[in-house]
Amino acid sequence: MEGVSYQRFPKIKIREMKDDYFKFELRETDASMANALRRVMIAEVPTIAIDLVEIEANSSVLNDEFIAHRLGLIPLVSDDAMGMRFSRDCDACDGDGQCEYCSVEFHLNVRCDSDQTLDVTSNDLRSTEPRVIPVDVASRSLASESGGYDSQERGIIIVKLRRGQELRLRAIARKGIGKDHAKWSPAATVTFLYEPEIHINEELMETLTLEEKRSWVESSPTKVFDIDPDTYQVKVVDPEAYSYDEEVIKKAEAMGKPGLVEIYAKEDSFIFTVESTGAIKAYQMVINAIEIIKQKLDAVRLQDSEEPDMGELTQHL
Amino acid sequence: MAPNKNTAFAALHELVKHHIESFDYFVDEGLEKAIAEIKPVRIVDKTSGSTLKISLKDPFLLPPKQEGRMNGAMFPSECRQTKTTYRGDFKIDVGFQYDGGVDIRDRINFGHIPIMLMSKLCHLRGFDPQKLVKHKEEASEVGGYFICSGLERLSRLCMIQKRNHPISVVRRSFRGRGAGFSDKAVVIRCVRGDQSSVNLTLHYLQNGSARVGFRIAGREYLLPVALVLKALIETSDREIYVSLTCCYNEKYQKDKGAVGTQLIGERAQIILNELQGLSLLTRDQCLKHIGIHFRPALSKFETESDAFVGEAVLNEYIMVHLNNNRDKFNLLIFMLQKLFALVDQTATPDNVDALQNMEVLLIGHLITVYLKEKLEEWLQKTKSNITEEMQKKGNEFKDLELVKKISRRHAAYVGRSIENLIKVGRLATLTAIDLPQREGFTIEAERLNYLRFISHFRSVHRGSSFAKLRITTVRKLLPESWGFLCPVHTPDGTPCGLLNHMTATCRVASFYDLNGQIKDFLKVRKSILSLLIGLGMTSLKQWLEHAGPPEVLHVLLDGCVVGSIAYAKVEKAVLHLRNMKLVSSSGIPDDLEVGYIPVSEGGAYPGLYLFTSPSRLIRPVKNISFSTDENSNIEFIGPFEQAFMEISCPDGGNGGRRDLFPATHEEIHPTGILSVVANLTPWSDHNQSPRNMYQCQMAKQTMGFSGQAIQFRADNKTYHLQTPQSPIVRTASYNKFFLDEFPVGTNAIVAVLAYTGYDMEDAMILNKSAVERGLFRGHIYQTENIDLECNKIMSEKSAEIFSRRKDAYKSFVDSDGLPFIGQMIHPNQMKYCTFNNVSSQSKATLLRGSESMIVDYVAVDGSGSKGGIRKVNIRSRRVRNPMIGDKFSSRHGQKGVCSQLWSDVDMPFSSVTGMRPDLIINPHAFPSRMTIGMLLESIAAKGGSLHGKYVDATPFSNPTPENNSEKSSGRISLVDELGPVLASHGFNYHGVEVLYSGVLGTEMTCEIFMGPVYYQRLRHMVSDKFQVRSTGPVDQITRQPIGGRKRGGGIRFGEMERDSILAHGASYLLHDRLHSCSDYHIADVCSKCGSLLTATFVNARKRLVTDAKSSLPPTRSSSKVTCGSCKSSKGMETVAMPYVFRYLAAELASMNVRMDLRLSNEVRT
Repeated sequence: MEGVSYQRFPKIKIREMKDDYFKFELRETDASMANALRRVMIAEVPTIAIDLVEIEANSSVLNDEFIAHRLGLIPLVSDDAMGMRFSRDCDACDGDGQCEYCSVEFHLNVRCDSDQTLDVTSNDLRSTEPRVIPVDVASRSLASESGGYDSQERGIIIVKLRRGQELRLRAIARKGIGKDHAKWSPAATVTFLYEPEIHINEELMETLTLEEKRSWVESSPTKVFDIDPDTYQVKVVDPEAYSYDEEVIKKAEAMGKPGLVEIYAKEDSFIFTVESTGAIKAYQMVINAIEIIKQKLDAVRLQDSEEPDMGELTQHL
Repeated sequence: MAPNKNTAFAALHELVKHHIESFDYFVDEGLEKAIAEIKPVRIVDKTSGSTLKISLKDPFLLPPKQEGRMNGAMFPSECRQTKTTYRGDFKIDVGFQYDGGVDIRDRINFGHIPIMLMSKLCHLRGFDPQKLVKHKEEASEVGGYFICSGLERLSRLCMIQKRNHPISVVRRSFRGRGAGFSDKAVVIRCVRGDQSSVNLTLHYLQNGSARVGFRIAGREYLLPVALVLKALIETSDREIYVSLTCCYNEKYQKDKGAVGTQLIGERAQIILNELQGLSLLTRDQCLKHIGIHFRPALSKFETESDAFVGEAVLNEYIMVHLNNNRDKFNLLIFMLQKLFALVDQTATPDNVDALQNMEVLLIGHLITVYLKEKLEEWLQKTKSNITEEMQKKGNEFKDLELVKKISRRHAAYVGRSIENLIKVGRLATLTAIDLPQREGFTIEAERLNYLRFISHFRSVHRGSSFAKLRITTVRKLLPESWGFLCPVHTPDGTPCGLLNHMTATCRVASFYDLNGQIKDFLKVRKSILSLLIGLGMTSLKQWLEHAGPPEVLHVLLDGCVVGSIAYAKVEKAVLHLRNMKLVSSSGIPDDLEVGYIPVSEGGAYPGLYLFTSPSRLIRPVKNISFSTDENSNIEFIGPFEQAFMEISCPDGGNGGRRDLFPATHEEIHPTGILSVVANLTPWSDHNQSPRNMYQCQMAKQTMGFSGQAIQFRADNKTYHLQTPQSPIVRTASYNKFFLDEFPVGTNAIVAVLAYTGYDMEDAMILNKSAVERGLFRGHIYQTENIDLECNKIMSEKSAEIFSRRKDAYKSFVDSDGLPFIGQMIHPNQMKYCTFNNVSSQSKATLLRGSESMIVDYVAVDGSGSKGGIRKVNIRSRRVRNPMIGDKFSSRHGQKGVCSQLWSDVDMPFSSVTGMRPDLIINPHAFPSRMTIGMLLESIAAKGGSLHGKYVDATPFSNPTPENNSEKSSGRISLVDELGPVLASHGFNYHGVEVLYSGVLGTEMTCEIFMGPVYYQRLRHMVSDKFQVRSTGPVDQITRQPIGGRKRGGGIRFGEMERDSILAHGASYLLHDRLHSCSDYHIADVCSKCGSLLTATFVNARKRLVTDAKSSLPPTRSSSKVTCGSCKSSKGMETVAMPYVFRYLAAELASMNVRMDLRLSNEVRT
């Protein structure tokens, strides 16, 4: 055991990077690592979301819980979330989450006085902390700075008011993680796929007529293969479009040509697609996730070095 | 319906039209007709000999008004909130006439009559959606129900025998009528113009004669048929004989369709001989004979002659639908011939359970009948009251004011009994409203969701008397109901087959024509008659010597024999009649039923039976033999004629029909056989049929969007789904019935896989994150109506008001004693606070139960409250988010219980799209249940959502047979239509996807079927059902735990449970359950006398101390115990026993039975 190292050095290669979209390759590691990264991104990267709503007046058609729930689901810019405290560990307040270290206060005060239906949107939320605002508001102010201001953009609708209806409330946003409630999850989608390795048996392929080749290529619902217009040879155009549905293999067998193509999943390279809700920039999400995994591993290592009571484990053995 | 009727939501209005039209009839015509039929009463003063005639004149039924000074219009929403009845004043002008002098009119108030919503007297009639919303109704409010004490009630349609049509019946109970009676009879239900009915039975006697039976006030009377025949018209024996025997002709003896046999002559002889025995020869003699015998049964004829009474019997009880005695005679002859055909087996008995011989009982008609009876009752009562008063005081007969006062006395009872009928659905009648049942006429219109609500209006009950019967024949689905009653939409269990639902296209024939005018039946019949004569019918003035079937067929129009038509001409006549139905200017109503029964060998009794009467079921079909433009060939047909028509269905071929019987009609669409709810199941033609039945049940218990006006409603309990969606896959009916106004579910991404074991046995795994984002979230609204004026003694009545007089309550209730809106109230917190003006005491009422509530709405009834608020509605709201144990179902009868809520990361995910399912169900749900429709829905919804389009899933809408014949390879399968859509978006053709385990991140070994399926959340939720207790309240007498969830009781550990524990030999468990956890008790027993009851405590003071520690298990008290009878404390022992045992000893002692206990291991002291 001693001396044998299983340490690997995973590599990341960035393919595409936008604020809310991030695609990268993760190589030289295994599925457990990749899945851990995925799970942490979805469930454990902290963000800020409205968690406590005090409704002062609500004469709208939606009831209080409904509005509170809707408020909670509005993504807030959470770039500072990593540095914030969880209100349960906050010692500046008594854990009621009303101090600057662990909470941000919002106010909403809308009343409809016209005959037209009034949309209450995320624009109407007034934050006490300018860095924590609804993401659509932030992106619009950014857009207006760069000149591309679009006044038609309406924001996230919370409720609609008729004449005489009113909504007045105080909301407190706190730091939290997706494990506790989905509203704190910064991820819209995090997924990875095993990089496929596709080998076409060229000899066997050449026995096919062009018509057969075409029907074989079209048997895949995604565009993985194509026929070269010049040489009429089948070639792999987009291996990552392959969804492991084995349609082409089944097709080859149906055509009486088993082994026409061989497809393996590379066990150690993954292609990640990360989409963010906007609360955290997609790449930041990955970095934060790695940070959190590190913290978790540290916690395990600290436990290990101190040789604490392994009791919990041994008790069951 | 009135021409100004708004066209918005027309399809929904159509569904309840029969309720509204029947009530409109009551208002427009029925009421007047019923009152016109009521005979005035005469009171004779025995001393002076003067008479007083009391008669009912004009009725007045007014639209609902607010009570009190304001007299403004009362709107239904007010009634719902204040728990009052939506009703209008009911008054009648009553005429008082002395000795044929001046008729003095007096308007008497007969109380109130509930008004049906959207009927002619309802304020909402003709409102457009905006106006409805303004008056706090749904935009799509359809009406058709009543509001009684705040509850919405509507009538349940009942099947009853078709009116004015004689049917032949074989029933064993007929033999019990008397000696010589056979089991065969011909029965007819005759209906008068005011909708009251009298049944008439023509029994066959074993000796060949027949008896006419009918009921007066519940008692059955049987008359020899010849007596009735002779009493009806001046006739001769020869005429009767010839009329009867005309249907037999030697020429056609064994021919097809010959109904008469040579026995008929003998029978006619027997019938006529019966009268000879009584020496009744002329009509006068017969009438007198009847009159003498019926005088005791009819109380109202004291002064009239016997012949008059006899005639009255004929008028009021024999074939009351006909006015002419000659017609009655003819019909009776016809019935006799039908009876003899039944006896001779030349015609089969009619099936009384078949829809063919049935119609529905509508509420408007029932109210008309019931009101008539109640008014008659009132007249009789008034009469007896006045005579009583006369006898008491002697001379006050002439005092009109007193007479008026007496007659007013019980007048309001009439209105009250109508309201009671609607409130409880029971007829409080002693006499014969000739109906098969007395109760169950109304039901509550529950607005659990819109489907449940609307299907109440479409439900038809076979009759509550059948529910108790063991026989199952009445429950059978008969082919006669095709197109009228839905074969799918009937509940499982006790009411199966008895409670049916009308199909979506089925209607009920009404008194109103297309322009909303009341039909003039006389005119209609006249034009039909003239048309028939033009078609070759020989009209029949009297029953002349003419032939019977198969040479000629009798023509009956609404139960009146109008003539006969040569068999050769009849088919053409029928065809022409049908065509004329379609021509609106012909004067032939579009819902005329042309029941042509052709001659057959021993089949149904042949004839041409025409019906114009209301309350028949009718449905539209296309008449393809009538070649005009496409749209005007919709013909309405009834169940009677349908059985003999050739209707092809566009779904499947010619239905075995050869060239011999070409189809004359065609179904509009095959889904016409399904009810509204059954029509909503997507691709129900791909499901196993019971699954579709389950879905019909489950759709009606789904938590959905019960209403848009929920803010203004005060239902006892309402469920509400927070985030409903419109289904991606839907049938044509979904749009037709505007169900997007009231959605009932959510398009959930469903994966079919066995993921861990938590989806075994119809359990399902929900995605916790999806739930947190709002999936299936819902609320329960409950309204409590608090009226301080009821349940109080008179002296305190005005004393209590809602008010807060203590500042200590400030944080709980407002100054008016009512809770704040939006406030959360926890169990045992104050809900509201009242103040007693007399005793100056405040009383706080606490929230009971174990669940907290949120105050949603408080409505105050300010009417009649001078000193303060006395009547409020408090609506509570409780959150019901999905949790483990809640029930969900797809639209294919696939229900399941949530067994786990798993977070997003633990759910399997797709590597391509990153999708995680909202819901996981087990693949074992499919093989045995064969709900292929659900799989198709999943694929179609997946394609639809990728495509951004709704998918039409109307059942039976496959390519038509024309296309089929072109392509001999068979029609293209549904999967091949849906698959390419998926493939074009890069998905698998068959809807499967490669998923990765969310826990491990590795690929799953097989591909997973995944796609959106519309899921419903059912109302059964654990939060409302769980029952758990460790300790809690006990029964006072037995000290055993009480039962009942509400009271915090336990679940009974019953005999069967005990038996199984015994069988396992688990004695400790048994002891624990039945003793330690139940009524454990330590008793002091005297070992000397063996008595359990004589122990007395010497030191009583100490006992109090031990009592205070009641939380401890029962311990031996430290005080000294002596035996009361032995007067010694020696020999006292303690024995542990169930407390009921001690109770038993006490009970036995009370009966002077002594119970002795022998203690085995006595401790000697």
